[in-house]
Amino acid sequence: MRAGILGAWILGSGSLHAQVTFEDIKNSPSENWLLYAGDYAAQRHSPLEQINRGTVDSLVAKWVHHIKGSNKLTSIPLVFEGIMYVSNNNEVYALDAVSGRTVWHYRQLGVEMDRVNRGVGILGDRVFFVTSDCHLVALHRLTGGVLWDHQYADPKDGYHCTVSPVPVKDSIIVGVSGGDSGIRGYMTAHSPSTGEELWRLWTIPGEGEPGSETWCPPLPRGEPGSETRCPPLPWGGAGTWMSGTYDPELDVLYWTTGNPWPDFYGGDRPGDNLYTDSLLAIDPDTGKMKWYFQFTPHDVWDWDAQEFPILLDLPFEGKQRKLVVQANRNGYYYVLDRTTGEFLLGTPFVDKLTWSSGLDKNGRPILIEGTEPNLEGVEVCPTVRGASNFMAPSFNPDTGLLYVVVLEGCDVYTSSEKEPIPKTNFAGTGGERPPNDNNQFFIRALQPTTGERVWEYPMTGPTTMWAGTVSTAGGLVFFADDDNHLVALDAKSGKHLWHFNLGQPLYSSPITYSVNGKQYVTIVAQTDVFTFGLFEAAKPVPLVGELGSP
Amino acid sequence: MKPVILLPVFSLVLFAVVVRAQDEDVMPALQKNEAATEATYVGNPVAIKAGAELYATVCSGCHGPSGEGGRGPSLVRGNRVRQVSDVKLFASVQAGVPGTDMPPFPFPDEKVWQLVAFTRSLVASAYESGVPGDAGAGETVFFRKGECSRCHMIRGKGGFLGPDLTVAGVTNTIAQLREAFLDPNRRTSDGYRAVTVETTDRKRISGIARNNSNYSIQMIDKDGKLHLLAKQDLRSIEFPRKSWMPDDYADRLSEDEVQNVLAFLSRQAAHHLPAAPKQTGVVNR
Repeated sequence: MRAGILGAWILGSGSLHAQVTFEDIKNSPSENWLLYAGDYAAQRHSPLEQINRGTVDSLVAKWVHHIKGSNKLTSIPLVFEGIMYVSNNNEVYALDAVSGRTVWHYRQLGVEMDRVNRGVGILGDRVFFVTSDCHLVALHRLTGGVLWDHQYADPKDGYHCTVSPVPVKDSIIVGVSGGDSGIRGYMTAHSPSTGEELWRLWTIPGEGEPGSETWCPPLPRGEPGSETRCPPLPWGGAGTWMSGTYDPELDVLYWTTGNPWPDFYGGDRPGDNLYTDSLLAIDPDTGKMKWYFQFTPHDVWDWDAQEFPILLDLPFEGKQRKLVVQANRNGYYYVLDRTTGEFLLGTPFVDKLTWSSGLDKNGRPILIEGTEPNLEGVEVCPTVRGASNFMAPSFNPDTGLLYVVVLEGCDVYTSSEKEPIPKTNFAGTGGERPPNDNNQFFIRALQPTTGERVWEYPMTGPTTMWAGTVSTAGGLVFFADDDNHLVALDAKSGKHLWHFNLGQPLYSSPITYSVNGKQYVTIVAQTDVFTFGLFEAAKPVPLVGELGSP
Repeated sequence: MKPVILLPVFSLVLFAVVVRAQDEDVMPALQKNEAATEATYVGNPVAIKAGAELYATVCSGCHGPSGEGGRGPSLVRGNRVRQVSDVKLFASVQAGVPGTDMPPFPFPDEKVWQLVAFTRSLVASAYESGVPGDAGAGETVFFRKGECSRCHMIRGKGGFLGPDLTVAGVTNTIAQLREAFLDPNRRTSDGYRAVTVETTDRKRISGIARNNSNYSIQMIDKDGKLHLLAKQDLRSIEFPRKSWMPDDYADRLSEDEVQNVLAFLSRQAAHHLPAAPKQTGVVNR
């Protein structure tokens, strides 16, 4: 029935141009790149192989598109039929993916907030993006004209929005940011034709709902009876800003949640603080939670679980299983059964991990005493940015390896007993780099069902980057390093094959696509979009006037 | 004599009005009672008039007497001014825009607010100008008699060749809407020039050039198909001198019908609207 509705609104637009269908998205990546994660499983492995181990040494810059006024581009572009859609805060550009020239530009006027934006979603004849002040906006993908504008969260309640919308069947899924300011997290699904909210899933439970007992006692402190009752919390964190993954066969959406609030002081929230730092399995038609897995119960180090939950179908201990894996910010690599949520394996993917001595049979961390933040500050590993973060991993089915961006490092975590005030971004102080630290980024190739390290590629740099990876059938892993380079490695051995100095910091992950039989690699840097392709000798171009009127 | 002496000194006036987020640290201490201050000046005809006089003395050299731009950027085209708040606009004038040719103008706050009020009046959107007319009747003309929707789209309804008008009310002044409607050939509209090309394999394509350089052209045709072409693949390219926008609406439509269409267009906005249009001192018709 719902697919019928989708067909109706696409046909209703009466246009002759190609529509982006659910099937197209299920087949991404191909020539096109149609999701923030590349594909619904977030494997980020492209079948394109024109750029490969033998040709990558001829990779050259094709074009650069400067985004005027940008400060920190964080978006991952989408590409459909030769048009690239890239976002900045409160604006979207459609670019000719071959030349980098602008086809259209849309700027949302009147937005006072200016936060980062992670990218657009695409379905039918429209492109979807969120504004910093949490409007979900549908634009015509060929003209940039507004089709509808629906506000789904209110900044007055502490929310802001950065998420790249995810189309699933005939709905658009989005989440909220603001977990460091004491929001009550949630995610919503919307009609692509009208923006109407179809369902809402709160990531902090309401009064009497399962999980509410993990937030006792309540605020404010000292209120009569506050030690014994557990009312619903109007705050708690659990942001939902990371685009999730989806299994079309199981028809399950996988979405991750952020930290509890206050970030570094847990004294007012004893308990596990559900559903923070968790992976949620969700029915995409109703928004009902099927199961959850919490990685860091009662987190006091700001270790959001908002790293890609990657879906893999692999033999595990001799039996073919549907898995979901994640290299979590807390330093452990997890393997779960994605049908049931059963914990199968957890093992450190960093050497620097000092807060926990291991995971129990259910995947619950075994805490090491004295690692909770205190007034004087305590050094704990990983860092507050985590052992990994939203930097995209990728998986190559040919090598069987998972490529993960890893930060080996520690921070000094300091807490506070000041009364937290929701929506004021009071986080109970925080984490900062210890003097003379030797933090360092790596690309690590992991065996995905064991977490075993197969190779690693160390990086130089200031440990300030946020860029991820893309894998290709050409036997390559592209990533941006901590010294502003786009780099290509041999996917099998980790050997360096190519690099290019982009000259600016990176907060996004590369993609690859093809137009007219030619493969390209694109990465969004701090203020510019860079695109690369194989070298071609220049051909003569007729000048203005030779073709007719200028 | 004093203004004459000062004129060369202030010839670099108001070069760039966009203040980005990171520039907030240079903002003067004007946050106190800012809402009350804005309300006093912005939209106030007396302040606008005073600002106009000051503008003509110190700003027009770079931004042009009517704000259309010259050595400095246009204040009335695009969304350069619209997308910044009054407070940021104030800071751009009083503190300048670091890293650009726009110097600081440390006038008293009152004078700067007058300049802000005048600049705002230059870009007062058709929506907030309270354009008179029967918007419902204008909508009917737009979609039927006027056949505007053959080329223009509003909320997904209409054609591809003209600018999408879904937010036309907040991105245009009433003067801009009127000129585009009744005198479309007066001003070239970047991104909407009519064009016909012939490819090296003898295919002719007509449409609108959304972008054009020596090396490539990005066109959209009447069916909404995008053609992303390299110039080396073209045999010829032709830009007709006249816009495809009809230039006879003043004859085809009555004065009331024209006004009704303008009223309809002035109300086109998708988001972030004030509760009611505010009068800004501009002449509506």
